[in-house]
Amino acid sequence: MAGDKVSFTVNEGEIFGFIGPNGAGKTTTIKTLLGLLFPTSGKAEVLGKPAGDIQAKQRISYLPESPYFYEHMTGAEVLDFYCRLFKMNAATRRKRVPELLEQVGLSRDGQRALRQYSKGMLQRIGIAQALINEPDLLFFDEPTSGLDPIAHKDIQDLILSQRKQGKTVFLSSHQLSDVENVCDRVAIINRGELVKMGSMDELLHAGRTIITVSHPGSDLVAKVQPLSEHISQDGEFTKFYTQTEENVHKIIDAVRGQATLVSVVPQRQTLEDLFVEIVREGRH
Amino acid sequence: MIIWAIARTTVGDALRKKILQVFIVVAIGLIVLSLSFSQTLSFSSQRGASSDFMLLKSFGLGMMALAGIFISLILGVTLIPQEFERRTIYTILAKPVKRYEFITGKFLGAILTLGIATGLMGITFILTIVIKAIGAQQLSASPTLGQMLGSTTEKVAIFDWNMVWGVILVYLQFMVLSSIVLLFSLIFTQTVNFFMGAAVYAVGFMSTVVISLGGAEGANVALQLFYKTISYVLPRFDQFNIPNQLLHPETQVTNMGAYTGMMALYGLLYTLLALVAAILIFERKEV
Repeated sequence: MAGDKVSFTVNEGEIFGFIGPNGAGKTTTIKTLLGLLFPTSGKAEVLGKPAGDIQAKQRISYLPESPYFYEHMTGAEVLDFYCRLFKMNAATRRKRVPELLEQVGLSRDGQRALRQYSKGMLQRIGIAQALINEPDLLFFDEPTSGLDPIAHKDIQDLILSQRKQGKTVFLSSHQLSDVENVCDRVAIINRGELVKMGSMDELLHAGRTIITVSHPGSDLVAKVQPLSEHISQDGEFTKFYTQTEENVHKIIDAVRGQATLVSVVPQRQTLEDLFVEIVREGRH
Repeated sequence: MIIWAIARTTVGDALRKKILQVFIVVAIGLIVLSLSFSQTLSFSSQRGASSDFMLLKSFGLGMMALAGIFISLILGVTLIPQEFERRTIYTILAKPVKRYEFITGKFLGAILTLGIATGLMGITFILTIVIKAIGAQQLSASPTLGQMLGSTTEKVAIFDWNMVWGVILVYLQFMVLSSIVLLFSLIFTQTVNFFMGAAVYAVGFMSTVVISLGGAEGANVALQLFYKTISYVLPRFDQFNIPNQLLHPETQVTNMGAYTGMMALYGLLYTLLALVAAILIFERKEV
């Protein structure tokens, strides 16, 4: 089922979030773009080349979810192995491996066997192997899953630093706050179908405004009701919820002189709200 | 360079498998133990030193073959599936690595591992025979002691090149078997593959019987065709065991060097075919 109506373009230099519930087809899409899976129909291109093209792979990298490596090797040996896959000569490898260990904060642990590494350290090695070729496009699948707050923050910073260097990041994650914080654009996939895509502002700007009024009379409530999408009572306060700016002004005008206006709070919808809404809609 | 990098990593990974280490150590232990086993035979029988040597060589080669077959099966069965289980395959194939480079590297790593295992067992085997031969020569130099112990004074060469050819032939069958199991691992599950591999070896080991069944007079034509097809398709593992006199007492090969060369060619060709088939399947396999 995974990925039967998925069509999108990722722009150069952006962090593109790719989110969806479990089984929505996120990893399938990534694997298709990497040439690990083959599309039964349609077309997948990466950096202008067909998915899986060896030349394109010189310029991309991939960090799978919970990556595992050969446990008997040390961190430095694993990176040396991955450097060899890029046909780097011995001199380049000797220079590049310590640089990578430094970049991911593992300089002091490079000579330890991976079986002694914590989950966070393994994830850092995973990121280091993804940075070997200084890729133009990075695919990160759940890069922060199961990490402690420090490692989580470090990896988030590392992703942001890639954008500063002009790299493109394709980020698939369940950590919606991460996606909201770092991504420029987001695509939401559900049941193998792309259901929403846009910049963070485009997707989340349609927030509601809550106008709180103290002791409104029944006449006022009746007058404002058509302008509100929802009204709630909280003790002596009545809250009017509305979507449009025009209605906000109309409600404020109506309240003026009739009751006490306590607050006007624009509410920005979070990515999590949007995600839950979309997934729930998809179930009906 | 890529193929070599993958092969090197595969060797390092494979040699750390406990089960492989156990098979190698047990086989080496049994080969060493066969020294005392054949000494007992030599001193208690009147069959002569050469027949004891034949027995010792057959036993050693048999031990090597048995351990090596299990190592080939275990190694071949887990070679690719383990890469999926550990997800290492994703990071490797996401790099500029061609699929044939991955399969060839993994296979090269497997046969290098088998080479190391065979080398260790083979050196132990040859040393065992040499030690035994030196002992037998000392015995023949002292006829009184020999007669006292009831042994003959038959002269035995300290080093026999046929032992080396025997070890090489044993290794060649490991190579062929692991290429078949590697091919199967892209189609079947690990358990099915293990038994399929063992069955292929068993049938290939009995290829003479299968060929005779294929040519049996009065037999069902379909069955004859079936046996003939099997005898043509499956590798003839029994032909790699010619130096094992316990298995082939009737066969005498006059030039073992030339025979080994011919079997090496046969083994390499079969391995190449299996490897090409594996590459073709893997090219279109979704990972």
